[in-house]
Amino acid sequence: MRSVLILVTVFVLLAGLGPMLAPYDPTAINIPKRLSGPSAEFLLGTDAMGRDVLSRLLHGARWSLGLAFLISVISLVIGTTIGLVAALGGRLADWVMMRATDTFLAFPELVAAIVIAGLMGAGTWSLIFALSVTGWMRYARVARGIGLSVQSRGYVVQAQLADMPGWSIARWHYLPSLIPSLTVVWTGMFARAILGISALGFLGFGVQPPNPEWGSMLLDARVHLRSTPLQMVWPGLAVVICVLAINLTGDALRDALAERDRHE
Amino acid sequence: MLDLRNVRVRRGRRETLHDISVSLPAGQTLAVVGESGAGKSTLIAAILGLLKPSAGQITWNGASIQSIRPALVMQEPRAAFNPVLSLRRSIMEPVAAQGIALADGRLDRLCAGLELPLDLLDRRPTEVSIGQAQRAGILRALIASPPLILFDEPLSALDAVTQKHTARLISDLQKEEGFAALIVTHDLGYAVAHGDQIAVLKAGRIEEIADAETFATNPQSAYCQSLRAAAIALGGLEAAA
Amino acid sequence: MIQVIGGLLLRAIVVLSGTALLTFALLWNAPGDPAQTIAMARFDALLTEDVIDQVREEVGLNRSFWQAFWAWLGPLLTLDLGYSAVTGRPVGPDLWAAISYTFPLAFAALGLGLAISIPLAVIATKRPGGWLDRFAVGIASLGNAIPSYWLGLILILIFAVKLAWLPALGAATPAHAILPALTLGLGVAASLTRIIRSGILEARGQSFLPAFRRRGVSDRAVGRDHIAPHAAIPVITVFGLELAFLLEGLVLVEVIFGRPGLGTFLVEAIMARDFAHVQAVVVLTALVFVTVNLIIDLIYRVIDPRIGESDA
Repeated sequence: MRSVLILVTVFVLLAGLGPMLAPYDPTAINIPKRLSGPSAEFLLGTDAMGRDVLSRLLHGARWSLGLAFLISVISLVIGTTIGLVAALGGRLADWVMMRATDTFLAFPELVAAIVIAGLMGAGTWSLIFALSVTGWMRYARVARGIGLSVQSRGYVVQAQLADMPGWSIARWHYLPSLIPSLTVVWTGMFARAILGISALGFLGFGVQPPNPEWGSMLLDARVHLRSTPLQMVWPGLAVVICVLAINLTGDALRDALAERDRHE
Repeated sequence: MLDLRNVRVRRGRRETLHDISVSLPAGQTLAVVGESGAGKSTLIAAILGLLKPSAGQITWNGASIQSIRPALVMQEPRAAFNPVLSLRRSIMEPVAAQGIALADGRLDRLCAGLELPLDLLDRRPTEVSIGQAQRAGILRALIASPPLILFDEPLSALDAVTQKHTARLISDLQKEEGFAALIVTHDLGYAVAHGDQIAVLKAGRIEEIADAETFATNPQSAYCQSLRAAAIALGGLEAAA
Repeated sequence: MIQVIGGLLLRAIVVLSGTALLTFALLWNAPGDPAQTIAMARFDALLTEDVIDQVREEVGLNRSFWQAFWAWLGPLLTLDLGYSAVTGRPVGPDLWAAISYTFPLAFAALGLGLAISIPLAVIATKRPGGWLDRFAVGIASLGNAIPSYWLGLILILIFAVKLAWLPALGAATPAHAILPALTLGLGVAASLTRIIRSGILEARGQSFLPAFRRRGVSDRAVGRDHIAPHAAIPVITVFGLELAFLLEGLVLVEVIFGRPGLGTFLVEAIMARDFAHVQAVVVLTALVFVTVNLIIDLIYRVIDPRIGESDA
């Protein structure tokens, strides 16, 4: 759990302080200096509009990480709610919720997000909607499984016999069991959201220019593959580093939880 | 008085309790004996309102059983406690949930009666012994002073010495607090030693109900006679003339 | 067994109907006037209200939601995908043409993925925790973090731009498929390596294996007859996930490499508001996906009959 906190702190700092470290305005156009290579003035060069790539990259952290965080938390809330309703709401609710989950799983998530975002019209809001609405299913499955197993535990039965209010049972008896596993799922979905945001940005369906988002930067750079190939490297590298950091943290957390469960 | 009249309970397609009628006066002890699968757990779940009978009534002094909030002492002592919370939090759950004002010194008195040091309550369930966890479980059942407490195999997770000790504590507390106890057990010796009445459950039916004395000396049905013989052979029951 | 298959089939039908309905609802409620988009795509500049209304009438956009839904679903059940309002051609042949580019690429990528990941996982598990193992896991983790579209661009940069060994854009010759297949195959390999690796390790931890060894069964025979089938179970389960990964990658990789496959077909249809095309791709994908998952479920239940009993 501590590693997740460290990771989140680093990302918050990156998204918070990154833009302050940027030497230039990420949207300032400077046509005479367009497509220049790395130099003392522009450490990573400039793009087709003469904007400073390093500044765009640093500001991009706010877009990519911030939106990914928002999306993964929205889908966490949707998924956990659906999973718990399925587990605790009786047989009919379970059937309906799980068939809904199957329906959303009957389609590759990113392809669904591309269709949704594309049809809703490009933009940040449709990006958030598309990725949230296609990203909740894993949370739902995990929450349902844990909900079902916790439901039959002695202390939940005791709490019910004591007439403890439902929200209080959820808070004190379900949440502590849900948090560790949902955190593992969340790290995975956070990484997926970063990949999804940049994929949609790359297709032109996501965050719109001139806002600096890593995927849309890649789309801009792709056209100038021959003249300034390095510009295509940076945004991709930023995505890879963030996703790798999240995945490794998630793996470590999962292993730690498995180890703990084995001891109990 | 707890009163079950012609109670039938279904689990899925199968009826697991057939036509159960039994009563337990306030302050007394009814021991329900039977093999595993006889329907003992189903009986408890039905009395607690966790399972709805398909026929018959379960009442307390003629009113709905739910109105008195019967408490339960579970077979697995630690399972009754949330592993991440202190024992105290779980123990106080019935008091907090029902908005009861606890009388001064009640907790101390009960702890003393159960031989539980007060500071033990601040530990987590995994940090105390099984016997201590079970006594904490009894404390939780007692704390809100319910008139009826159900004990589901309360001793089976404990070792022999702790079993005797815990059984004595339960019966001492019962004299002080005056609750009615329904004890489900497969231990005939315990049932005879502590029950005012003994009901033998077999395949979802009550085979025989008798007071402890009659049961220990001269049970009527063949099944109960064989149970008694087996208990004597295993040393769980003393042969009486 | 028949009851189980019936239940799974029913579930698949419910899921497919749900997908069809959701897709249609999404298209129906998409912002903007599709009639205008379609008219624009067809007649380019000549846009009067009359023309747009004519298109609306012709395409059936003036009907109610349910009317339009049934009008689309009915023919679909007889495998008639209808006409595209944008191109004016039937959807079927165009979709087929796109699939004929996508299928070989998908199979090549899957084959490549297996060809890389199986040997890698076997070598890695020779000594679990050894440097080879850690190397393999590290490479796989890195591979999992690399977006397919970026990998594709990097490969284009290296092999097409700098070295000029391979063609990058289009699908004119089989050589054009090499870079896209490599892009997707490496991604597949990265995710499969970890799964196969843990499958082998888990199978090896099974309690019956020491008994075979004691009875003098050779390591090779144990590996072939006992470890391999056990390691295959998780691989079969994740095949559905792998298919999803492949389809997601295909869309982006086809766009990057300018291959006129299913992914490009979909993205172009979305941009042109070509409802018939979008619906066709979505329904086809869902059908393939649900069928594959149905088969996986069945295989899984044959291998291990306990599965599905606890699952509602």
